[in-house]
Amino acid sequence: MYDHFETPEPDEAVKLALRRIEESTARGEGSDVDGLEFNEVVVNMGPQHPSTHGVLRLVVTLDGELVKDVIPVIGYLHRCKEKLAERRTYFQYIPIVDRTEYLASINCEWAYVMTVEKLAGIQVTRRAEFIRVITGELMRIASHLVAVGTFTADLSPLGTAMVFYMFRDREVILDLMEELTGARMMFNYYRFGGVRYDLPDGWVERCRDFLKMFPRKIKEYEALVDDNAVFLQRTQGTGVITQQDVVDYGITGPNARASGIDLDLRRHRPYSVYPELDFEVITAQHGDIFDRYRCRMDEMRESLKIVEQCLDMLPKGPAQLGSLRAPYVITPPPGSCYVGQENPRGEYGTYIESDGSRYPSRLKYRDPCFCNLQLFPKLLSGNKIADAVAISGSIDLVLGGIDR
Amino acid sequence: MDIDAIAALLLERFAGELTDVRIQEPDTIVAGCARERLEDVAARLKADSEVGYETLNWIAGVDHRTSFEAVYHVYSWKTNTWIELHVKVPKADPEVATVTGVWPAADWHEREAWDMVGIRFTGHPDLRRILLKDDFVGHPLRKDYVDLAENHPHV
Repeated sequence: MYDHFETPEPDEAVKLALRRIEESTARGEGSDVDGLEFNEVVVNMGPQHPSTHGVLRLVVTLDGELVKDVIPVIGYLHRCKEKLAERRTYFQYIPIVDRTEYLASINCEWAYVMTVEKLAGIQVTRRAEFIRVITGELMRIASHLVAVGTFTADLSPLGTAMVFYMFRDREVILDLMEELTGARMMFNYYRFGGVRYDLPDGWVERCRDFLKMFPRKIKEYEALVDDNAVFLQRTQGTGVITQQDVVDYGITGPNARASGIDLDLRRHRPYSVYPELDFEVITAQHGDIFDRYRCRMDEMRESLKIVEQCLDMLPKGPAQLGSLRAPYVITPPPGSCYVGQENPRGEYGTYIESDGSRYPSRLKYRDPCFCNLQLFPKLLSGNKIADAVAISGSIDLVLGGIDR
Repeated sequence: MDIDAIAALLLERFAGELTDVRIQEPDTIVAGCARERLEDVAARLKADSEVGYETLNWIAGVDHRTSFEAVYHVYSWKTNTWIELHVKVPKADPEVATVTGVWPAADWHEREAWDMVGIRFTGHPDLRRILLKDDFVGHPLRKDYVDLAENHPHV
């Protein structure tokens, strides 16, 4: 019946996994539990597996339930965005940046726009800076809601409730953003030197309503899972990222801060108006799944604080540089520049080389998930397969950013 | 230590090895490095007791038409500054020594630079393509790359 299906040749990643098994058997490290021999199996987890949150494929070597080895395979969502930059003007490229890391696309735009501004020496209007911080922090909350929601849904039936509550509240943020930018996720909102539209009438009040409503919601989420025995047992002490891992592999964002590393580009490489704002860099100590979850929850509170301050301090003036028209065609002088920005997942930055023409001659993304994913073989090996799912959920990957 | 002091210190300790040292405001030092010296310079930059560039941030492969370039961006926790190393790689022989032994994070970044620009990192433990399929032909971020249907047989 299935004769017309060809068995595909194993690809390089599977071959590598099989080769590693052979090598470990040759070294005499074969699996032997209580004198019983078990054969190791190579399983493809993904690229269409719901717990990988995208098209991530993990080639997992299993010994029973124990994960022996992991080889991540990426590139299923590769859209050659770095190549696309070669034939688009700086201005035309803004909407494409949105589509890299689509859960916090406004933060990606921010990194790109800041790099071009630095390269071309464009000053941003003060009102626009505040609007940027407001939108950036709102999207940080929205992104953390997706991260925590889907991660708890991976863990237990309890999370299925959580994910719906979180998506419900994220909807409020998306509504605010839609009113402001006209789009729910792919905003195309930042311009060189400012933002595309000023805040519409009544937007500030509606944003304040959200700020008033949301702290109560965070308490609700915490009441749902923080004292749940199953949640705690599955998350505490599992999937520990050590400080040495952070230093070796360039882990950034909440994943690094959960290990007790105080690294936040809003503080350590201050950009925009962050130096004027009062906020804390949230850190935890253990670096396990639970601490990463806690960091995200507390960061949402800090983001609320930041948005509130910005609404209070919001200056009058133009939200766009000069006249109503944005600088559509800009030609930065030859040179190169890298600017990193604190994305919800870590350091997101763009490196741009200009040859003096209207097109960037080279554009490169530094994506936090790409760097965090590199730790997976080390992080998942030695855990049970069910824990591996929990750990990969807690790292919070967005494949659009990894594959570019 | 402020950025000027770090630049002076690097100029003194790596005299002749780091070339064209300049400061990119506010916190990055940009320097060139000969590709033969890269492995040694990287190891010493990491081990330096005062600056200590310990975390590799990213590596970019760049095609400058006449030559390639590998750009290394490294973070120093001690001083909260970055260094950007530019290593020229000739087109005829696009090879550079791997730095995975110094910075473990280099593994995937070097694979990406190989995949996209075709710079070969000698000594890399597992230099496979990373974003493109295994059987892809060519390196798309080269300026002379021409996209043909034959280049991606499985699409």
